[in-house]
Amino acid sequence: MIWARQRELAWSVFCNSGKGCAGGTCMTTNFLTGIIGILIGGIYLITALQLPQMKMGDRLGPKLFPAVVGIAAIIAGLALIIQDKRPGKASKKADFGFVEYKHVWIKISLTTAVGILFGVFIDSLGFVLATSLFMLFATSLINKGRHIQNIVISILFAVITYGVFGLALKLSLPRGIIENILPF
Amino acid sequence: MQAIFANLALGFQTAFSWTNILWVFIGGTLGTIIGMLPGLGPATGVAILIPITFGMNPATALITMAAVYYGAMFGGSRASIMINTPGDASAIVSCFDGYPMTRQGKAGTALAISAIASFIGGMIGMLFLVFLTQPIAAAALKFGPAEMFSLMLFALVATITLSEGNLLKGALAICIGLMLSTVGIDALTGIVRFTYGMTALNDGIDFLVVIIGVYAVTEVYKNYKAIDAKYSFDSKHIGKVRVSWPEFKRSLWPMLRSSPLGFVIGVLPGMGGTIATFMSYAMEKNISKHPEEFGKGAIEGLAAPEAANNACSCGAMVPLLTLGIPGSGTTAVMLGALMLLGVKPGPTLFTDHPEIAWGVIASMLIGNIILIIINLPLAVPLVQLLRVPQRIMLPLILGLALIGAYFLNYSSSDLILVMISGVVGYIFVILGIPLPPLVLALILGETTETTLRNSLVLSDGNISIFFQKPISAVFIALAAISLVYALIRNKRNQSAA
Repeated sequence: MIWARQRELAWSVFCNSGKGCAGGTCMTTNFLTGIIGILIGGIYLITALQLPQMKMGDRLGPKLFPAVVGIAAIIAGLALIIQDKRPGKASKKADFGFVEYKHVWIKISLTTAVGILFGVFIDSLGFVLATSLFMLFATSLINKGRHIQNIVISILFAVITYGVFGLALKLSLPRGIIENILPF
Repeated sequence: MQAIFANLALGFQTAFSWTNILWVFIGGTLGTIIGMLPGLGPATGVAILIPITFGMNPATALITMAAVYYGAMFGGSRASIMINTPGDASAIVSCFDGYPMTRQGKAGTALAISAIASFIGGMIGMLFLVFLTQPIAAAALKFGPAEMFSLMLFALVATITLSEGNLLKGALAICIGLMLSTVGIDALTGIVRFTYGMTALNDGIDFLVVIIGVYAVTEVYKNYKAIDAKYSFDSKHIGKVRVSWPEFKRSLWPMLRSSPLGFVIGVLPGMGGTIATFMSYAMEKNISKHPEEFGKGAIEGLAAPEAANNACSCGAMVPLLTLGIPGSGTTAVMLGALMLLGVKPGPTLFTDHPEIAWGVIASMLIGNIILIIINLPLAVPLVQLLRVPQRIMLPLILGLALIGAYFLNYSSSDLILVMISGVVGYIFVILGIPLPPLVLALILGETTETTLRNSLVLSDGNISIFFQKPISAVFIALAAISLVYALIRNKRNQSAA
């Protein structure tokens, strides 16, 4: 029943032309946030309800708090959608700037991917090599075209941070080819 | 009273070691530099500098992080004054009169008065901190689980009701933070929850990793749009970095008035430096005999918010030290870093580790003196750093954030989590979902759940326990009042629009 009402609401909002979202079919920020709230809250609530029931002591324990939080997220999501549907109350169109700021999104995606790769390879490559490579990529992406400057920054960054954290603060950093050559 | 002086003496004993003074100097300088850079605030500063606190004893670590915090508050206004671009959100107000002063050739005076105001605000804030922490911590020691739960509830509700922005989005942010806090093995029953089969999540989500993600990586992503920004100013026209007697006299009362205001705002959860500075500016403009000069280079329009800002950062330390509740993004990061070192701030900090609690309070005196020394004679060389382009700064911040996240547990999965948090944080920013309540809920989630469950076990499942205990009832009433206040304010704002 709730879901049917929700779907009905969802469609009506899609076709609603509010003040901040003129021109018919468009997704407003509050509507999209509401959907996210309902989705996350829903999945979380279902998972919470499947948790095993305790037989004694703190019986509702591991279930109670997550169930309340999940329901609260769904209510907040629904309220956002309903608030947005009221005539003249629509929020502004959700604009991620995928077209206008395409270059920004490409940079964000590449940075994220290389950050994850840094995590995957840091243990096998060693701190200095992995960090220099990550920094070389990050500087080349952000500080385009200045190759020598980027190489210098990357190597200096890796060496200085290794010196500060690995040698001065004595953190045990992953050792690779470069660290194994070093006498200390 | 005597006890306070005895404690303070203990604090000075801790703070006056050469190591701690050196770290106050290093932390304060780094904080000033990070606070000064456009787009990077104190939370980012503390987040990326967490690794330098590894291996320190907890007192030195907290002293260093506090120095970064108020260092950033000193530095925040430098960029506002010189290039009309605030270093962080709480320095927006400093642009109103700071930049007009620069255009009138009075940049030196503006830099000087902002440092002096920060010093006065910091000192007054520290005094309040000295007298307020002990009674609050003593009262909090008597709290049982019911009182603690109601306090957590109040802190979470107040975070969204006292800050500006959409209440529902704030509530959703809190829910998401609480959800993340429940991931992993349940401490009370040993049941694995919400890991969806990923064993890497069994130990839960390390909130410091998420914090570094949203306060450092997201900040870098936000700045990607302004990657080519170059800031230039004319060093020759800065003038002497000093304030004349009439100018100081004109600013003195505004500074003295704004400091207590800033402090009180800092104590309240969810109300940070931004609100403190705006309120103090509005207050001064209202009571000024020359309101028309505000916005055109009125010196008190710069001095008052600067004092409020630094007093606010002292105020924010009150709930952190006495209750273990971070009221702002920066104190949230500090709490996380301290827990990593095995210290849990809260009322027991004053009984179990008085040297840490009082050491950090005493270090603020030294810190403020060091910072005014850094910020007055060295103001001109320091502002030259504003010329370092964003395209060089951003990769460095990113690199520091990533290695910092890795150092927390030497875990590759943390690096994946930090990058995911960065992207999700950026999407949330676009959608207008506030990040500070999410972070706060993630940190307080475990205590909130444990205290709720312990209370219900004590009362045999009866929720009336939260209303029967007077202190608990007061916190619930405060939460309700702040919610009603926010709803009324929203209604008014809507009808005004």
